[in-house]
Amino acid sequence: MKSEAGLAVSYLRTDGIAEIYVGVPAGTVARVHLPGEAARARFVTALLKAKCESGDALELFGEPVAGLAPQARARLRRRVAALSPIVGLMTNLNVWENVSLPAAYHGTPPLDRVAGLAVELLADLGVEPRTFLARLPEELDAFERKLAAFLRLLVARPELALLDGLDEGLGRAERSRIERFETELRERLPLATLLYVDCKEED
Amino acid sequence: MVRALRRVEGGMRLSAAFATRLGALRRPPVLESFLRQVYFTGVTAATGVVLRASALGVLIIAITMDVLDADVDLAVKILLAVVFREIGPLAAATVVILRSGTAMSAEVAMMRVSGQTRALRHLGIDLYDYLVVPRVAAVMLATLVLTFYIQCLAVLGGLALSPFIIDASFTELTERLFQLFAPVDFFYSTVKALLFGFAVAVCCCYHGLNPPDLTLNAVPKVVTRAVTQSAMLVLAINAAFAYLVFGILFFGLVTAKL
Repeated sequence: MKSEAGLAVSYLRTDGIAEIYVGVPAGTVARVHLPGEAARARFVTALLKAKCESGDALELFGEPVAGLAPQARARLRRRVAALSPIVGLMTNLNVWENVSLPAAYHGTPPLDRVAGLAVELLADLGVEPRTFLARLPEELDAFERKLAAFLRLLVARPELALLDGLDEGLGRAERSRIERFETELRERLPLATLLYVDCKEED
Repeated sequence: MVRALRRVEGGMRLSAAFATRLGALRRPPVLESFLRQVYFTGVTAATGVVLRASALGVLIIAITMDVLDADVDLAVKILLAVVFREIGPLAAATVVILRSGTAMSAEVAMMRVSGQTRALRHLGIDLYDYLVVPRVAAVMLATLVLTFYIQCLAVLGGLALSPFIIDASFTELTERLFQLFAPVDFFYSTVKALLFGFAVAVCCCYHGLNPPDLTLNAVPKVVTRAVTQSAMLVLAINAAFAYLVFGILFFGLVTAKL
């Protein structure tokens, strides 16, 4: 796979049966439809781990991930975040603890900034912050769980945001609400690359 | 055989990770997890279950004194050698295995099976830091405190009960206890309690993180393995300690006052 300048993601999978190529220019909004759940999980996992299985080739921000040193890989991973079933919420933590967990663990960003962002975003989306943040994941519906995960993604301020199966399991009304996510992301992270990942509809 | 060796290796690796990562307790979510575990293992256990466990100590001394027709000296020696040194740490370890070992192994296994450990890794959170270190440290501390708690209750109960069985007053027994009590008793039970807590927590975390498969059916299997092997480890450590300490006493390297 030739390295292409200006690509946030360059992914090539050749397993003998089908070839999949994904190239996403940095700073754009892109949609990827992959053939089936397995291919999707493999793609998202490769991006999140900054590491791909044999037969795949991946470059993140123009850097091939094969043979990277652990520290360089960790640096790349910090630039990627996902709203995905693969990165679910911790069931024994409430929404606030889930949202603030990475920040509290890594020590950045400061928790007061996380709290400010959470309150502001929830108010924008018409959700009462205090009640919402105190609830456990099992008390949330599908939209609210995605909202909590979206909040956590925003806190991470990634350069590449993966929105994996964003509207799955949602009704029509909730789908229209979730469209606000992209607007919020573009406003708050104008330079980030947004990558929607979905499965192709089965015929 | 290979599986057993792999488990030993995994347990040792987990122990080494715990020892080298204790500094993770400074991170707020890890500290919070540590305090939560101390509360569930230590504080909530310090009511009914521990009271019943301490009653066991009282029962043992009552029966032994009655059978042996004990005097003041023997009664106090039994209190120190049996209740203080052996029953206290063992009862605390039993309570910890039954209450926290089961909960801990099931919780970690559920996190593993439901993909929450994978989510933690993707968030850049080290599983040893967030799941293992706070649990092992908290269970060690809680086991130590529970041991002292049970020892105090059992010894006090024994002192209070003995005057009804032997011809000695509570004051006489207490005075003799303070004469015979040696710091080695305290250190012996402290080291043992810490080791018991460490063994139980490492065993439960190891099995929780390594379920036989990633289905819900694996959770009860994990709990059974964790509890059984924790109990076996505690008994093995207890036997090793008894052999070591009484062996040294036998060869005269330490002057026994008992």
